Amino acid sequence: MQSRWIAALMLMLFSLPAIGQNRFDPQDLSGFWLSDVGGHTLGTKAPPLTAEGMAAMKGRIPDNLNRLPGNAPWYACNPMGFPRLVLDNEPVEFVMTRNRVLQLFQWEWTLRELWTDGRELPSGDNLENLGPAWYGHSVGRWEGDTLVVNTVGLDERAWLDNPGNPKSFYARIEERYRRTAADTIELQMTLYDPKFYTAPWVGAKKTYKRMPAKDVTFSGWKSLYSGNTDAICAPMNEAEDYNKRIRDPAAFGDKKPR
Amino acid sequence: MKKVLAFFILIAGMSTGAATLFAHHGRGATYDMKKQVTLKGVVTEVAWRNPHVAIYMDVKDAEGKVVNWAFENSNVSTLARQGYNRNTLKVGQEITAVVNPSAAGTPRGIVVKVILPDGKEIMSRSSGANPVD
Repeated sequence: MQSRWIAALMLMLFSLPAIGQNRFDPQDLSGFWLSDVGGHTLGTKAPPLTAEGMAAMKGRIPDNLNRLPGNAPWYACNPMGFPRLVLDNEPVEFVMTRNRVLQLFQWEWTLRELWTDGRELPSGDNLENLGPAWYGHSVGRWEGDTLVVNTVGLDERAWLDNPGNPKSFYARIEERYRRTAADTIELQMTLYDPKFYTAPWVGAKKTYKRMPAKDVTFSGWKSLYSGNTDAICAPMNEAEDYNKRIRDPAAFGDKKPR
Repeated sequence: MKKVLAFFILIAGMSTGAATLFAHHGRGATYDMKKQVTLKGVVTEVAWRNPHVAIYMDVKDAEGKVVNWAFENSNVSTLARQGYNRNTLKVGQEITAVVNPSAAGTPRGIVVKVILPDGKEIMSRSSGANPVD
């Protein structure tokens, strides 16, 4: 009898560290995360575009493995905008505050503010007064342990993804973040944009993994650049120097870049 | 500056992995990844900045004419993590650079590796140590 108690106690003691490692607050997303996003797209086939959607895509030349560089706005150091920046497989830090969740992106060295103070998503005159923004206007709320973020008021000039798909100012994008394990967050994103698309566009589920502490350094997160080797797209570096002196002569020779 | 015997040799048909060369800068068809060019010459500029470090060098062609080549590299942080910095290569230094050349036929390339006069190889892209995304 006594030996059984001792065995049970031993089992409990050995189990404690394992339990400790797996315990987490599902409503705490703070930390550095890296997603498995590939291809810089929503990850599923786009629904057919409306006539207005097709018109919005006119003139956009995407990159392709078999083609020369396209004319994505970010090559001239314009913001990638939302959701393109979230669709990148670059590190992001989530910061939980009393009234907002902040997303700090290594790429572009910029942030999104997801308001969780109960305010309403802008609509009607409020939205018209705010006007378009590269990262839109975002409101989040908890549905159980899922952080549901809705974003509206997006700038139509920013590409949704690398293929150059559009999204209208009147689009709404819903993100559903769920922390499923201590080191895992799942994201499901859906675009509702009846002006440019004939149906909602449900993206593929994406997974964020917590970055090892050793990968978060002054020289960059995930050995990419930040801090002293920043990822800020500076026109003096990118457009005036790299594009003109290296990329364009290499890609286009004497021809005019696109 | 000491004159150097400089030359470049085109080696066609060598295959390298191109799949990883496609992230933010869409280099899909910018460089001919099936070719390699060996450049021997003198460094004229080290542009140690993002989005991609670029090294410029004077190379004499077969007729003795000096051509200013440039080849791009990875970003600053990736190179820094491998122990390279803006003083690793200096203006006036003799180097040999192996690059994948521009698809447009211009004197531009993307680094495969740099060979120093003592034979030491640096900034090598092989085995993924120096990705150039």
